[in-house]
Amino acid sequence: MTRGMRRGCMAAVVALLVGASLTAPASAAAPKAGAAKASASKDAPGFRRTKDGKPDLSGYWDLSRGPMPAVPEFQAKFAPNTVVVNDVGAPELPAGNYGGLQLTPAAQEVARTWKQENDMTVSKACAPPSIIYSMQGPFPIEIEQYPEIIIMRLEFFDIVRFIRMTDKHRPENAPHSKAGDSIGHWEGDTLVVDTTHLEASTITNNGLYHGDKAHVIERFKLSPDGKKLISSQEFEDPDNITNRGARFIYWDYKPGDYVYPYECDPTFGLNYGNPDKK
Amino acid sequence: MRKYLALLTLTAGLAAAPQVFAHHSFAIFFGGDKNVEVTGKVTEFTFANPHGVIAIETKDAGGQTVVWKAETNSPSILRRRGWTKDSLKVGDVISMEGWPARDGSHYMRMRKVTKDGKPVGIPFENLQAN
Repeated sequence: MTRGMRRGCMAAVVALLVGASLTAPASAAAPKAGAAKASASKDAPGFRRTKDGKPDLSGYWDLSRGPMPAVPEFQAKFAPNTVVVNDVGAPELPAGNYGGLQLTPAAQEVARTWKQENDMTVSKACAPPSIIYSMQGPFPIEIEQYPEIIIMRLEFFDIVRFIRMTDKHRPENAPHSKAGDSIGHWEGDTLVVDTTHLEASTITNNGLYHGDKAHVIERFKLSPDGKKLISSQEFEDPDNITNRGARFIYWDYKPGDYVYPYECDPTFGLNYGNPDKK
Repeated sequence: MRKYLALLTLTAGLAAAPQVFAHHSFAIFFGGDKNVEVTGKVTEFTFANPHGVIAIETKDAGGQTVVWKAETNSPSILRRRGWTKDSLKVGDVISMEGWPARDGSHYMRMRKVTKDGKPVGIPFENLQAN
């Protein structure tokens, strides 16, 4: 499938979601001249805006290899009992270290008896982690931005996120999934995304899991030169952690590249627990 | 025959700290402070997520056939480092280097593969992270 075909398919998905009211991508939408001009006039070269004046987050973003310092304006929004977990990208926390997250007794018991070998089976090898873990993995993401909806395609496990910008209705009985149910809004030049309805999954890949009450708030903004996408991810799950966790995640803008299909092969799990491995 | 003999080195403390990713924890399965290198003939190469697998046949010091397997990073990551599904073929003679499994099995996390004297793709020791 060519890149153009993929984009065509994505547009079709958007059409299904927003129905006949589908508008053109935000970057081609009719300008609201006043606000857009006022914001754009302050922008540094390289900072991209849609024609309706919003920061244009669309494009291909690869997880940054460099430092990912705390973002004071985002951190100021965190609840007082929030700890920043330093495991973004390739680094992983060792067994028994949960980055300052405080486990409930139930979560402690799960972590105590957890053995990752048990996850390496054909039935589990291709089970994707939820966005709490997958957003920080060292894989690229691709964003398509429309006024009604923002689509994030994660290369990791082919996860696709649909962030509703205008339809704020969240049915009580919406299904839980690894992408969850996401509603977004703009606070100035920051995209704020609120996600619930996540399916139980790992938080730190070492025995700490969240349940179906997990709640995530993410903030996204462009760097002044438009070369970085800077985000914070704040999460809570009263069933498993008594404080709240956060991560700062940065991506680098790499126009022209695109997310590859992941198409996980579960037979990889045969390499674990297979006597031939010995 | 000689060229298929396993060249096996197991060196503690020489390998750089791993900056590779697995959806399963690297630290739990692999010795990040150790290095292993083996040479032999490719008997299997799968290039699929979540990890590729390379199997090679070697001979131990007693002449017995030993199969070593290397788990690669995600092929999605390897593609951007110059790998394809055709990078290795059954019968190729290669050297593969990586972090050995903690359980002592003939299994490693690949860091570098050499074929015809040249590295396949960009080895992980040359770039930070993925």
